This record gives sequence, C-alpha cells and structure tokens, in this order.
Amino acid sequence: MITTTREQHRFRGRLAACAIVAALLWGTSFAHGQKSTERYIPIGMSPGLSGKYTSIGLITDVNARTRTITIADSAGPKTVQVTDTTRIWLDRSKLRKSNVSGRFTDLVKGRRVEAKYEHPDRRHVAEWVKVEITVP
Amino acid sequence: MAQRSGAARTRSRLTLRLMAALLMATTGLAAFVACQPKPLDPREALIARGRDLFFNETFDGNGRTCGTCHRQEENLALTPAFIATLPNDDPLFVAEFIPELRENFENPRLMREFGLIQENQDGFDSLATRFNMRGIPHTLALGTSVQSPAGPRTGWSGDGAPADGSLRAFAVGAVIQHFTRTLERVAGVDFRLPTDEELDALEAFQLSLGRQQDLTLPLPLKGTVAARGQAIFMDDGLGKCNICHSNAGATTSLGGQNIGNSNFNTGVEDLPDHPARLTGERVPRDDGFRTPGDSTFNTPPLVEAADTGPFFHNNSVETIEGAVAFYSGRAFNNSPSGRFLAGIDPKRVGIQLDATQVVAVAAFLRVINALENVRQSIAELQKVDSIGFFDRDRGLELLQRAAHETDDGIAVLSGAGLHPEAVAELVRARELTRRAVGSLINRRGYAGDAKAAHARARGLLIQEGP
Repeated sequence: MITTTREQHRFRGRLAACAIVAALLWGTSFAHGQKSTERYIPIGMSPGLSGKYTSIGLITDVNARTRTITIADSAGPKTVQVTDTTRIWLDRSKLRKSNVSGRFTDLVKGRRVEAKYEHPDRRHVAEWVKVEITVP
Repeated sequence: MAQRSGAARTRSRLTLRLMAALLMATTGLAAFVACQPKPLDPREALIARGRDLFFNETFDGNGRTCGTCHRQEENLALTPAFIATLPNDDPLFVAEFIPELRENFENPRLMREFGLIQENQDGFDSLATRFNMRGIPHTLALGTSVQSPAGPRTGWSGDGAPADGSLRAFAVGAVIQHFTRTLERVAGVDFRLPTDEELDALEAFQLSLGRQQDLTLPLPLKGTVAARGQAIFMDDGLGKCNICHSNAGATTSLGGQNIGNSNFNTGVEDLPDHPARLTGERVPRDDGFRTPGDSTFNTPPLVEAADTGPFFHNNSVETIEGAVAFYSGRAFNNSPSGRFLAGIDPKRVGIQLDATQVVAVAAFLRVINALENVRQSIAELQKVDSIGFFDRDRGLELLQRAAHETDDGIAVLSGAGLHPEAVAELVRARELTRRAVGSLINRRGYAGDAKAAHARARGLLIQEGP
C-alpha cells in the first residue's frame, strides 16, 4: 500500500515536471496561422494580422545582398529580412487571377507589399510577404 | 319624461358599449404586444446573425455554406449515414456536378462512404498528390477547447485557420478551401471573403454552441458500469484518459496543472486497415500540425464524443468503444504519446485496458454525452417559454433542436443497453416535444412536460444535489 502511494506520488511528480516543461516550451511559441490558405487572401485582408502584425506599403528599397526590403508603412519605413523560410506570394487578385508563389526577385521597388513578422517580438524577420501584381 | 328617460337609457347603453369596446381593444392590444417577438439583446442578435450566416451564406462561392458540412441535425458534423439521405444536387457534392471542381477538390467515393473531406493544409501546389482526407469535426464546446497557451488551436491539427490562427479567422480559410467555384481560388471571383462584421458574428455563433464550461469530475453517476468507467478514466495509473482529456474536455492536465489544449502524436495514422485506405483510393499520410507536419493532432473534447462519431481526424474508427480500445492497441502504445505515458509510469506501461474496462470507459462517455444532450434539450425547451406567439418559426427551430438532442441521448444510451428507464423518459420527452411542434395553442405546455421528462431522465443517470 505504501509502495503504491509512493509510486503514485512519483507518477504525479513526473507529470508535474512534464507540465512545467510544456508550459516553458509553449511560453515561447506564437499562435500558428495556416499558410496554405493564407496565400489566397489579398493584401491587407488577413483577419487579426493585417496592420497589426504586418507592414503594408510600397517597397522603397531592396537590398539583395542582405536580403532585406524597406516598406513605406503608414507607421513609418520598415525594413524586414527575407530569409530562406520566408514565403513569398504574388497577389494577383486585382488581375482576377490566382495567387501563386513568388521569389525574392519579385520584390521590386515601387510594388505594394504586405510583410508578416515572424514573431511579434522579432519584427525584423518576415514570415511571409505578399506582393501585389497589377500588370499582367 | 318618458322620452328623456329613453334617451338617457340609450346614452347609457352607448357609453357602456363604448367602454366595453375600449376594454376589449386595450386587452387585445396588450395581448398582441405580449405575443410579439421580443427584441434580442446585442449579444443574442450577433449570435443570431452568425447562425444565419453559418447556415445560409454562400459567400458567392459554389453554393456551400458552413452548414453544408456542419449540419445542425448532425451535431454540427456529418456522418456517412446522413450523407446517404442527401439528394445528389446537395452542395456537399459540388465535385460531382460542377465541372471545374471534378478533379482534385473532393473524393466523392470517400466522402459518401466514410464522410471524408479533402483538405490542403500543406499547400495547393500539388493538388493531385498533396492533400489530407479528414472527417468533419463538430463545433460544440469551442469556448472550452480552442484556447491554449501556444495560441488558438482550430481544426483537427490545431492549424485550421489562416491569418492569426484564431477561430474568428477560421471562416476565411474554410471559404478558400471549401466554397470556391474553381481551383484558381481567386478572391472576388471564385468567392468573396467574409467581412469583419461577418467574422465577428460567425465567431460569436460558434462560441455559443454547446457547453460553455467543463465538467468537474467525478460525477455522482448512478450506473454501475459507467461509474466504474469514470474511475478508470480518471485513474492516472490505469485509464490515464484524464491526463489529456481533463474532466473529459479538451485540455491537458499534468500533475494537477492544466496546460490548456494540446497537440499529440497518438499514432492514429499508424493504425492498420484504415478503412479509407482499404478502398485503394489515394489517402496520403496526414502529417498534422504545421508544414511540414509534426504528426500531431489536437485534443478534442470527449463529453460530445459518443454522438459525434466516426472518430479521430480520419474517421478511422466507427464506434466509441473502438475509439477507447484504440488506446490499448499497438498503434497508440508505440506512438510518441504512448511511449511518453509508459516512460512516466512506474511499471513502464502505456495504456492496457481489457474489454470490460474499454466498455466501462465507453459507457461513462455515453452517459456524460446523454447528460449533455439532456442539458441542451432543457436549455432549448426553456427558450420556448420566452418567445412570443407570433415568433412561431423560432419556436419550432428551438423545438427541433431539442428533439435532435433528445434523439441523440436516446441513441447513445440505447446503443450500449444503458439506463433503459432513462431512455424511456427520453422517448417520452421526444414525443412531448413532437406534440409541442404540432400544437398551436399549447406549445409551452408540452414543452414544459418535455422538460419534466428530461429532468426525470437526468435523475436516473446521476445523483441530483439537495
């Protein structure tokens, strides 16, 4: 009986330790929005994100060496880095065409873009960038 | 004198008639006002708007609504049995009659046979080869199951919503995935995206569905087998169910600390003889959360489980008993979750329940599901009391919802031969609700009697408080 109680205590202790580890891990994560349907949402229309966790505006500068773009956001100029994992989508909804995947070379000065930050605390890295395409 | 007296009598009569007419008019007006539909408060109005959108709005797409797959009469889910009752031109079957959606949008065979829907959580670039086949989860008790410390968890793998990943944003992803007229998926052409106002209303409606809070286990259950099932469920050394389904809900409790809704790899994808794969149709391995996935899926609430099968993200198990038995099988015990449980167990055992224990846990789940059916039925019947005579359509809708819940309660209990006396009371409640539907003047009376029958049924399932 005593053994069982000890075992139960040990079991609960292990579970509690797991809970602490899980809480610590989760404390560092960020709400996960699905990327596959995100691609089809036109610039500025992502609920809960657009304008809050994104910068929207014209590209004023592109630095291919550092893979950064500067966006003339309404809150001021914003420079974000485009990493290997950053998704780039071409928003062709104004052409009434399907949105497709793009490349860094599609980030051209003068084009309107929306860049979503990878994390609210790391606003210099883009998780995804949508580029508006208005000319066929 | 006699003439004056006659004139006075005539005046008096006229006055009396006028007074009587005035009294009747006032009474009639008061009755008319009392019978008018009562205005909804802002929250209720938002929920009603959300309900209307959920079941009627097509967002200029292929004709589907949210309710096409999340049917009111199917606990906001969908089963193959119900699908079999639908006409061939139902919007569920758009892939069968809209030429642009014939390829790579749905698999009609798997939809009709197993209730599976095609999803593209990992992207739309290789539609023929990269997709998942998933069941339709119910949308009950979302208020208790979506939130986690890591952010909202929606859909089977917790990543169902685009944008901020919230329940509010979920509808946007659903419209893009399921409502489109063509596979081009162009906003403004193939569908329109919901407005902010519509998203607010849809979220409010979805959060209003089902339970608003978790149970507090253990419950004083009267049934011997169900009570034993509850004990096994809660035993962290035996059933271990309460660890991931705290209080039979959708949150995880480790060592007494609740850490919210969680994702786990339980090995469902490793089950042998997965029914959909037996057909020979292409059913790719579902990698769950994120892209590429980590093979985890989020925890659904269990109170609503017994009447919302088939079970798991791929509808691979038909019965609640089978779903409980899964956790004693090889697929689970060899999975990361099974190994985790074995790793912290003093005897290095994951979950090993025998047939009687499996049935007992399932009986417990059936009984708490029936209790929830009773609670929901009573709640709907109570609302009938407060609506006006001329708000007949709303009254009928409430009664029909109560009837569906009652039917479910009957089915989950009788499906395992549990509590026949409670089933008899529920059958009575069902009949009284049916009479209320057909009654012009005694709707409230029948609804009240149905509530009483529900209360008696509940009293047969659980010890009532003093």
